[in-house]
Amino acid sequence: MNTQGSKLVVTLGLAVAGALGTVVAGWSAWGWYTVAWAVLLLGVAAWSVRERGFGAGSAGSDTMIESYLESRARFGDTVIPVWTRHIENSRAQMEEAVSDLATRFSSIVDKLDNAVHSSDLAGGAGGSAMTDVFAHSERQLGSVVASMKSAMASKHAMLAQIKDLERFTRELRGMAEGVASIAAQTNLLALNAAIEAARAGPAGRGFAVVAQEVRMLSGRSAETGKEISHRVNLISSAILAASQAAEQSSEAEDKSMQSAEGMIEAVLSEFRQMTDALAASSALLKQESIGIQGEVGEALVQLQFQDRVSQVMSHVRQNMERLPPLLRENRDLYVAAGQLAPLDPEPLMRELQKTYAMAEEHAVHSGARLAAPAAAAEDDITFF
Amino acid sequence: MAKTIMVVDDSASLRQVVGIALKGAGYDVIEARDGVDALSKCTGPKINLVVCDVNMPNMDGITFVKQFKQLANYKFTPVIMLTTESQESKKEEGKAAGAKAWVVKPFKPEVLLGAVAKLVLP
Repeated sequence: MNTQGSKLVVTLGLAVAGALGTVVAGWSAWGWYTVAWAVLLLGVAAWSVRERGFGAGSAGSDTMIESYLESRARFGDTVIPVWTRHIENSRAQMEEAVSDLATRFSSIVDKLDNAVHSSDLAGGAGGSAMTDVFAHSERQLGSVVASMKSAMASKHAMLAQIKDLERFTRELRGMAEGVASIAAQTNLLALNAAIEAARAGPAGRGFAVVAQEVRMLSGRSAETGKEISHRVNLISSAILAASQAAEQSSEAEDKSMQSAEGMIEAVLSEFRQMTDALAASSALLKQESIGIQGEVGEALVQLQFQDRVSQVMSHVRQNMERLPPLLRENRDLYVAAGQLAPLDPEPLMRELQKTYAMAEEHAVHSGARLAAPAAAAEDDITFF
Repeated sequence: MAKTIMVVDDSASLRQVVGIALKGAGYDVIEARDGVDALSKCTGPKINLVVCDVNMPNMDGITFVKQFKQLANYKFTPVIMLTTESQESKKEEGKAAGAKAWVVKPFKPEVLLGAVAKLVLP
C-alpha cells in the first residue's frame, strides 16, 4: 500500500475510534444527541474515505486510477502524434503546392514579359520599329521607281530625237530630189545651149563644148542626186526601223514599269496592313499585359496567405505536441506522489499564445471569427 | 546594371512571391531560407538591399540583422523586415537591430516595391 493509502487508513481508524469512544463515554449523559454526534463522525470518516478512496482508497481503486491515467497518457501518445503528423503533412503539402504554383506563376509572368518585349521589338514601343522598317522600305522602293521612271523619260527623249532624225531624212530626201530636178533642168538648158551653138556655126563651137561639159555635169549631178536619194532612203528606213523598235521597246517598258509600280504598291500595301495589324496586336498585348500585371499583383497577395496559414498550423501543431508529455507528467505525479492533479489548460494556452505572431491569432484565440486581413497599404509601412 | 536584393524567408512560396515582384521590377534576387543561410551568402556579389522575415528556424530575422550589420561590407546596406508580426515591441527590436523599414504581410507588390525603391542603395 502506498503512503496515501496509509494516511487514509489512519484517518478512517481515528474517525471510527472517535465515534465509538463518543458513544461509550456519552451514552448515558447525552443520550440520542451523542449517538447523532457519533453518526456525524462516522459520516465524516465515510466522506473522507469516499473523497480519497476514489483515487487510492484501496488497491483496486489505485489500479483503476493508474490504469485510467495510463490509458489517458497512451491516448495522448497515440492520437496527438497522428494528428500533428497530418497537420504537418498537410502544411508541408500546401507549402510545396503553393511554392510550385508560385514557380509556375513566375514562369508565366516571365513568358508574358518576354512576349511583350518581343512584341515591342517587332512592333516597337507603340509600333515604331516596324513602322520605321516600313517607312525605310517604302523610301527605298520609291527611289527604285523614281530611278526607273527617270530611265523611261530618257528613253522617251531618245525616241523623240530618233523621230527628229526621221524628219531630217525626209528633208534630205527633198534636197536630193531638188538636186535631181536642178540636174534635169541644167541638162535641158545645156541641150538648148548645144542647139544654139550648132546654129551659130563655127562661132558657136566653143560654146558647144561648154554646153557639152555642162550636160556632163548635169548628168553627174543627176547621178549624185539619185545616189543621195538612195542613201537617204536607206538611212530613213534604218531610222524608221530603229524608231519603231525603240517605240515598241518603250511601250513594253512602259507596261513593265506600270506593272512593277503596281506590284510595289501592292506589296507595300500588304506590308502596311501587316505592320498595322502587328502594331495593333502589339498595343493589344501591351494593354492586356497591364491588365494581367494587375491580376498578378492581386494573386501575389493571395499567395501570401499560405504563409500565414502555415504559421498558424505550425503553432497549433507545436502546442498539440505538448499535450502527451503533460498527460504523462500528470500520470507520473499520481504514481510517484499519489497526487491526482487536475489537468489545467492554462499553461498550454499561455504557451500557445506566446507563439502567436499575428494579431488575428490573438483575436481567434479570444473567440473572434475574422475575415482574411487586407494587404498592407502604403501608409502601413513603418520606416525607421 | 540591375541591383541585387537578398530575400530571406523560411517559406519557399513567400520567397517566390517576393522574387516575382522584385524581378518584375528589374531587380536581381538572391534567396536564403533563414539567417544562417543568408549570412553564408553575404560573400558573393554586392547586395543593395535585404528583405527579411522575422520568425525563421536556425536564426531569426532580428538576430540575422544584428550580425549582418556587423559585416564591414554590409554596414550600410538597408534591411526591410517583411513579416506577419505587427507588434510594436517587435518593430522596436527590428529598429534596434538596424532595420530601415517594417512591412506587414500580406503586402501588395507595389507597396513593397515603393519601400525598396526608396531605400535601395545606388
